[in-house]
Amino acid sequence: MKILMKPIKMIAWFNEDGTLHPVRFNMKQKDESHITIRIDRVIKKREEKLAGNPMLVYTCQSIINNIERIYEIKYELRTCKWYLFKM
Amino acid sequence: MNSNERLILHIDVNSAFLSFEAVYRLQHGETVDLRDIPSAVAGSQATRHGIILAKSIPAKKYGIKTGEPTWEARQKCPQLVTVPPNYALYMFCHNSLKELLKNFSDRIQVFSVDEFFLDVTGMPGADQPLELAHIIRKRIKKKLGFTVSIGISSNKLLAKMGSELKKPDAVSTLFPPEIPGKMWPLPVEDLYMVGRATSLKLRKMGIGTIGSLANCDLELLKYKFKSWGKLLWDYANGIESSAVSSSSRDTVKGIGNSTTVHFDVEDRRTAHQVLLSLVETVGMRMRFSGLCCRVIAISIRRAEDLTFYSHQLKIQTPIDSTTAIYEYCKRLFDEAWGGEPIRHLGVRVSDLSPAVHIQLSMFEKEWEKQKVIDRAVDQIRMKFGPGSVIRSNFLWSGLAPMEGGLSDDASYPVMTSIL
Repeated sequence: MKILMKPIKMIAWFNEDGTLHPVRFNMKQKDESHITIRIDRVIKKREEKLAGNPMLVYTCQSIINNIERIYEIKYELRTCKWYLFKM
Repeated sequence: MNSNERLILHIDVNSAFLSFEAVYRLQHGETVDLRDIPSAVAGSQATRHGIILAKSIPAKKYGIKTGEPTWEARQKCPQLVTVPPNYALYMFCHNSLKELLKNFSDRIQVFSVDEFFLDVTGMPGADQPLELAHIIRKRIKKKLGFTVSIGISSNKLLAKMGSELKKPDAVSTLFPPEIPGKMWPLPVEDLYMVGRATSLKLRKMGIGTIGSLANCDLELLKYKFKSWGKLLWDYANGIESSAVSSSSRDTVKGIGNSTTVHFDVEDRRTAHQVLLSLVETVGMRMRFSGLCCRVIAISIRRAEDLTFYSHQLKIQTPIDSTTAIYEYCKRLFDEAWGGEPIRHLGVRVSDLSPAVHIQLSMFEKEWEKQKVIDRAVDQIRMKFGPGSVIRSNFLWSGLAPMEGGLSDDASYPVMTSIL
């Protein structure tokens, strides 16, 4: 996996207890076209607090262009921004 | 270790500002770790705040020192990567570190933005202080991403001296029996509270190491330095007994602000304006703490040789009004200034007392009306932001109407002299 740290548009839902479930996201590709990726499975979720900045990191799996890929997305709590961290 | 001895840890973040920035960048996908390359946190050169605030260890190898001008650092190391300071980030790091340390003891003292004292006497794991310190060190590194140096001893002074022994990402002990071996061979400048002026005097007396200071005749030191001599001698012998107190920040001794002006100030009027911008923040901070002051001081740094001088005065009636302090600052400035170009100006108030009961004086001007205005202005600024009301003489002046302070919420000093 390569570090990308690309800002993405995200659709996610929250449980009553505040648990966050990412569903699908949309991002700009190199040729300026947009691609929507459905998150098929969240493999792992962890919280990081590096530099005192809390982020939720999800390791996910999706089929992109007929290839099954594993990648990491990050949610920055302070800014409410989502990033495609590694793919 | 003696059973009735305390166990104090001093936790010091390695190249704090730079580490915080490096970790933040790594978290945001940066592939280069600033700590692995010659890099530094430096103020903006355009506004002449261009000094090195923190540096990486590779930068240190080029002889770059904290506090030196950025252009000078660049001459030593042309490939130096500089990043601007981000005080909000430092406060986030500071707060998370504090939260993490609270898991180990409730007796915690914030010493500065990147230093903490922790009294772990009788806490779980205190029978194995080295292991405990390593657990803390590793947890900080894993959770927060930056490294710390931890000093372990039976008082705050030795713990602080201990954390200096080995850097980065290290733990050192400095218990009283270890003083002759570990602390005494160090140059006297390494002792806490020995600054440039004291070191010069000590060197003249033939005292070059902490050991020779510790073994010096106490009466001689008292004769040369008065009560300060006793303190130095105690510190050199590792004698210090203050408590790790979480409330030490509550007793403010003085409030001050200073700024480096982005051009050389050459006329009285501009200097007064800069002073006013500083007084605006000092006054607000004082009123928010519910305090009044009786001593007002200004400091001036010359542009030519960067030498520094100050002037102060004591008044009868305690005041907290911006205009009142400004009036005194103007007087002090006019008395002290020799007419040379100025690079840096500072204002400081001390001898603080609660602003509840004030003995008024028949011989000094009354500031009651000003107080009402100050209160109104403070409230407007609180509600609509610091820039909502400014003094009209700052319009088109090119000067900031309020100067000083690290950031909105920076309530901790970067350095302090009170243990």
